[in-house]
Amino acid sequence: MLQLRNLSKSYGEKEILHNISIDINQGEIISILGPSGCGKTTLLNMILGITDCDEGKIIFNGQDITNVPMEKRGFNIVFQDYSLFPHLNAEENILYGLKNKPNLSTKEEVSELIDLLDLRDHLKKHISELSGGQKQRVALMRTLVMKPKVLLLDEPLSALDGVIKESIKDRIKTIAKKFNLTTIIVTHDPEEALTLSNRVLIIENGTISQYGVPSEIINEPSNEFIKTFILNQLEIKRNNILKLFGTAAKTGGFTNQPNQMAYSEI
Amino acid sequence: MKKQARGILIISSAIFAVFLVIPMVMIFKESFMGDYGFSTKFYKDIFLELELFTILKRSFAVSLGSAIITTMMAFSVAYTIHATKVSSRAKRIIKLLTMLPMFLPTITYGFAIIYAFGKNGLITKIFGGRQFFEVYGAPGIMLGYIVYTLPVAFVLINNTMSYIDKKYWVVSHVLGDKPFRSFYSTMLRPLASTLMASVVQSFSLCFTDYGIPMAVGGKYKVIATTLYNQMLGSLPDFNRGSAVAIIMLLPSVASILLLTYLERTNISYKVISDIELRKNKIRDTFWGGLSVLICLFVVGIFLTVIVVPSVQGWPYDLRLTTKHFESVFSDNELVRTYKNSLLVAGSTALIGVIFVYATGLVSVRSNLKKNSKRLMGNIALVTNTIPGMVLGIAYMLTFKKTPLQNTFILIIISTIIHYYATPLLMMKSSLEKLDPTWETTAKLMGDSWFRTVFRVVTPNVVSTLAEIFAYYFVNAMVTVSAVIFIVGAHTMLLTTKIKELEHYQQFDDIFVLSILILVTNLIVKGVTTLIIKKRKR
Repeated sequence: MLQLRNLSKSYGEKEILHNISIDINQGEIISILGPSGCGKTTLLNMILGITDCDEGKIIFNGQDITNVPMEKRGFNIVFQDYSLFPHLNAEENILYGLKNKPNLSTKEEVSELIDLLDLRDHLKKHISELSGGQKQRVALMRTLVMKPKVLLLDEPLSALDGVIKESIKDRIKTIAKKFNLTTIIVTHDPEEALTLSNRVLIIENGTISQYGVPSEIINEPSNEFIKTFILNQLEIKRNNILKLFGTAAKTGGFTNQPNQMAYSEI
Repeated sequence: MKKQARGILIISSAIFAVFLVIPMVMIFKESFMGDYGFSTKFYKDIFLELELFTILKRSFAVSLGSAIITTMMAFSVAYTIHATKVSSRAKRIIKLLTMLPMFLPTITYGFAIIYAFGKNGLITKIFGGRQFFEVYGAPGIMLGYIVYTLPVAFVLINNTMSYIDKKYWVVSHVLGDKPFRSFYSTMLRPLASTLMASVVQSFSLCFTDYGIPMAVGGKYKVIATTLYNQMLGSLPDFNRGSAVAIIMLLPSVASILLLTYLERTNISYKVISDIELRKNKIRDTFWGGLSVLICLFVVGIFLTVIVVPSVQGWPYDLRLTTKHFESVFSDNELVRTYKNSLLVAGSTALIGVIFVYATGLVSVRSNLKKNSKRLMGNIALVTNTIPGMVLGIAYMLTFKKTPLQNTFILIIISTIIHYYATPLLMMKSSLEKLDPTWETTAKLMGDSWFRTVFRVVTPNVVSTLAEIFAYYFVNAMVTVSAVIFIVGAHTMLLTTKIKELEHYQQFDDIFVLSILILVTNLIVKGVTTLIIKKRKR
């Protein structure tokens, strides 16, 4: 269990985060949702250990890790632009960390992950030859072979479009379930947050606006901010889509479930 | 990582303190402190007794005149390349020839101009023996300055021109602009500050150059030759010399400040798009023709350097021979000088690359405070303002009677510092383009900072490192201004040897040595270009 206790952070006069306290259970997927500048990236960086906490504690499995340096926490992150090394091919990127710590994953485990993320055909490809979704999978895999205790994902879907987005969502869910891996995702997109995670942490102006499971947030929004900025947006989307399908239904078609599309082709 | 970065910062600051700050303090001191303590006497002397006012006015006039002409020429070439439909092969040759002069020392241009445009000069002969002008003095100096600064001006203008959004040409056309208005608003106006920068940069180079006026100036004294005579002439006076050096420093500082200001006013386009140019024979013939003339000028000078030592005795015995080349290669003294130059250029390039890389990493990819990260950039700005001659004299004053006097080490350090600004800028801009999250990512996968630099950063900046290597190597091969005050009998370099050979009127040897410099530089440049091309694929 990861516990954040009264975390605060200021830069000079400006308070970025104020008194953040939440509990995250082992194996849970949590989304940190909020508009840009709300402090969500700062919170992610504090959990990762790049940014020091001004006040408060981070406790992991009962141990206070507030002052443990980033590389010793055993957490890992996939950055928004994947941060892949362009002079290496996909496989070399994946095995980069194992060069330093060869005992973290066995050959079989690596091989299993390759299949799970559907990367077998792309291993020898140069980074520049990969599509956005493939890059995301390579970056994810590179992090997973390091067996992180907590996986952090910074805007994992924002650079992807359409069906690829859905495919990566599924994979993140599969991985979290399979490895019982606590996963923390930063996003500005309510749809993403609410469809991907077990619980959503909504932050506004550096404070917790609401922390709960998606159905709670939809059915019992705790304040105006969530109603106007989060639910309103989803409502508009829903209406648009329903309108589309209303017309589409007349012309027939659209019977396939989107989840059954062949993701490996993407 | 913070520890390593701070270590690099401290070491490099110490290097700059010893080899930049202290020498500059020494030269200031020397210009004010005579046998009887502090006085401004030496400044009065140089203006009253050396007629420095007249000399300064002259220096200003020839430098500024050449700078303006060079800029116009460089603009013509760049315009031909970017805005005409001249064949792409021709464009490539034009570009290559315009860049060629950066591979020879300025001192060679002085002599080449005498042998090209003098009474019995190659070009004079081609045009039927009628001499266009007296080469010694202002015309010769200006021709030399123009050849010397043409590549620099061209690189500047060509670079900005490639960042101009060409769609605006179409926009201007469909909005009904007349050709001149269109030329003004889509070409001259966006280029204005670059053209100014080109004039200022060329001016600064000319004003502080020693090689050209030394070779072709004759009795026409400019500030560089006056300074040399005060320090190493028949009646040396270090106090007065230092005062002249400080005077030379002032316009140079002003130029660099102006350049920094101009950089900020540069118009920048967010999007750069290319368009298919319209057919226009007149335009292509006009600009193409101008470029050909400019290239012929460069070719004429290089031809002179090659032809003169390849015949029995220019201009009377024109039978081809290799004897001048053979005599140079069998002269142990000259061969040793060549080896010295290779050693110095190679070491300067290698140590320079490491130094620039280390300081660049600290400036861009460390988590030090902003002010610490800016330190090296600010020092680079300072090194840029100091003319080579001034730096050389400062070293001469500071390190005389120390074990460093006249050593290769001192020559190498002076060259690295003198040319530090451009490589650092190249390094920084290349490092800034790399993904800022690499270090964190690699650290999370168990890398130390040095390991990340070695495994991730370095492979992605190899091209820049190669470019910096070539930049340092070529400049170390051709520089004369600083090293002339530092070299000793055992650390003679090709450029300083050329200066010495002039004394004995051995022009065949001078040109053979120049060809040696040219060929060496072309090989190094060629190899590094190949490496860079290979990396790009």
